[in-house]
Amino acid sequence: MSGAANPSLSLGNGMASHRRRLGARGILELVSIYAALVLVLMETIYPLLWVLFGSLKTKQEMLSNIWGPPSSLVFQNYADAWRIAGMGSRIVSSVFVTGSALIILVVVATPCAYALARLRFRGRGLVLAVAVAAMLVPPQVMAIPLFMVARDLGLINNRLGIAFVYAATSLPLSVFILRSFFVTLPADLEDAARVDGASRLAILIHIMLPLIRPGVALILIFGFIEIWNDFFLAFLLLRDPSVQTIPLGLVSFFQQYDSLWTLYFAALTITTLPVIVVFIAMQRQFIAGLTAGAVKG
Amino acid sequence: MSTRPQEAAPSTSRFGRFVSGDGAVAFVMILPAAILFCLFYLWPFVNGFWLSLHNWDGFSDPTWAGFSNYQRLAHDRIFLGALRNNLIFVVAVVVLKNVLGLGLALLLNRALIGRTFFRAAAFIPVTMSFVAVGLLWSWIYNPVFGLLNGALDLFGLGGLKQSWLGDANIALYSIIVVDVWKWLGFHAVIYLAGLQTIPSELYESAKMDGAGPVQRFWHVTLPMMMPIVFINTILGLSGAFVRNFDIVYVLTKGGPNHATEVVLTYMMSKAFQDGAMSYAAAIGYVLFLIVGLASVGLLALMRRQRLDV
Repeated sequence: MSGAANPSLSLGNGMASHRRRLGARGILELVSIYAALVLVLMETIYPLLWVLFGSLKTKQEMLSNIWGPPSSLVFQNYADAWRIAGMGSRIVSSVFVTGSALIILVVVATPCAYALARLRFRGRGLVLAVAVAAMLVPPQVMAIPLFMVARDLGLINNRLGIAFVYAATSLPLSVFILRSFFVTLPADLEDAARVDGASRLAILIHIMLPLIRPGVALILIFGFIEIWNDFFLAFLLLRDPSVQTIPLGLVSFFQQYDSLWTLYFAALTITTLPVIVVFIAMQRQFIAGLTAGAVKG
Repeated sequence: MSTRPQEAAPSTSRFGRFVSGDGAVAFVMILPAAILFCLFYLWPFVNGFWLSLHNWDGFSDPTWAGFSNYQRLAHDRIFLGALRNNLIFVVAVVVLKNVLGLGLALLLNRALIGRTFFRAAAFIPVTMSFVAVGLLWSWIYNPVFGLLNGALDLFGLGGLKQSWLGDANIALYSIIVVDVWKWLGFHAVIYLAGLQTIPSELYESAKMDGAGPVQRFWHVTLPMMMPIVFINTILGLSGAFVRNFDIVYVLTKGGPNHATEVVLTYMMSKAFQDGAMSYAAAIGYVLFLIVGLASVGLLALMRRQRLDV
């Protein structure tokens, strides 16, 4: 990404111009920018903070004290939410489904992307065209036929089954992204290994795969957000409460019990906080990966 | 992204002869992906269209119906209403995400203390599930003790209090706000990356020509950002058509009285409440046709503007 060099440049310029005319106008400008950003912060972070506050209040305080932090910490809400919403089994389901889907996706997409980028064979153009065309067909529009196929294959309420479906729906984009990473690698490396008699598979695993790790990370990040958070396909294919994932569990908890707001908030915090923490820890790679695909370097 | 295949090796070399015999290897490498794709992508897509040409409740024997499902759709008031809501939703969220996303990116592009922090904060809603976002906002919108009505009271604007999700005239717009809230950081980050590729010399020379900040935005920033505007529009467009089921289901389930019904919620209720499987499948194909035409149209427009992205 050429963006990596530029921001420091434009940043430096911005600072210089501020220093040059840090008169009344400059200060006013800076203050209004910060004011706008604080407003943005208010509308993104404060609702989440209020969820955290609410999750620790008593039911009465929830209604009487809307704005402030809790006067005492009611951790019992968490224990109750965990028990009533069956969080334990939902988390196990989500981890199993997301993990399996991502493993299947990487194992299946990588050799395909490699072949499309590095091998010469008849029909390559066709395979590539199909992958691109498939990206124009969002899986949501074929939910009903997908349900039928899953039913015929006995995959309704089957967590491994839905993992395969998730992998399939992420496949076209992932193959496309990985292929673009393989294409950029120099041919020399591979040639040398081939002369030494290494097989294609060995080359792929031992030489190419380590080099496209950023590409794999990118599809894992995209895939994780997509699959972990998905409600629609899970709602379609996982009908039995015992196999349901976190988003399904939250919705049924929410719709089954009326006005247990403190418990809803506890359940929301349990499920949202870990993802936010992981995001904050990895936010640089996260955002860099996201923009690498969209903005040409 | 380059789409040109690797053909660096001359075909007369030993390597060249090697790769010309790659058919078998390629077949084995592509096979798993091909099986997965055919089973859960291609087959449902083809089979589902066949299904939509029948009358079927999902259990008894299907009977041939030709295009009658599609003809019925053209006269289905609720479907047409859902389509209209869906289009309002798409246009509103795409415009708002682009305008506000670019605005936020311009703010974040300044040399500021805490820029990384603000950027991360703006991005947090993107990492949340629609379900979590929906639950959060159903509390914000709650007419009795919700945050929004509470805030209006606090600022002495009690007269503006609404039943945000209960009033058929505003419920759809309330949902639109939620969707924009969730995705704003995503689009802002992409705009931010784009802003950082604009060479600063352009601004310098515009400044020398006496262009003020507003003129610099219209004559330098915006023209340079057009490819990013297209990317954000495409991302927003395809998402807005087909990623609204979760949020509508959690917030209103399409109510009150179908005021917030979108195509996917209607499709699901037809399939699983009325058991009209083939009719629901037909709804999916109409949606596919609309999304496809919109994306292809946008891509064609992009190519005509010579925006190679």
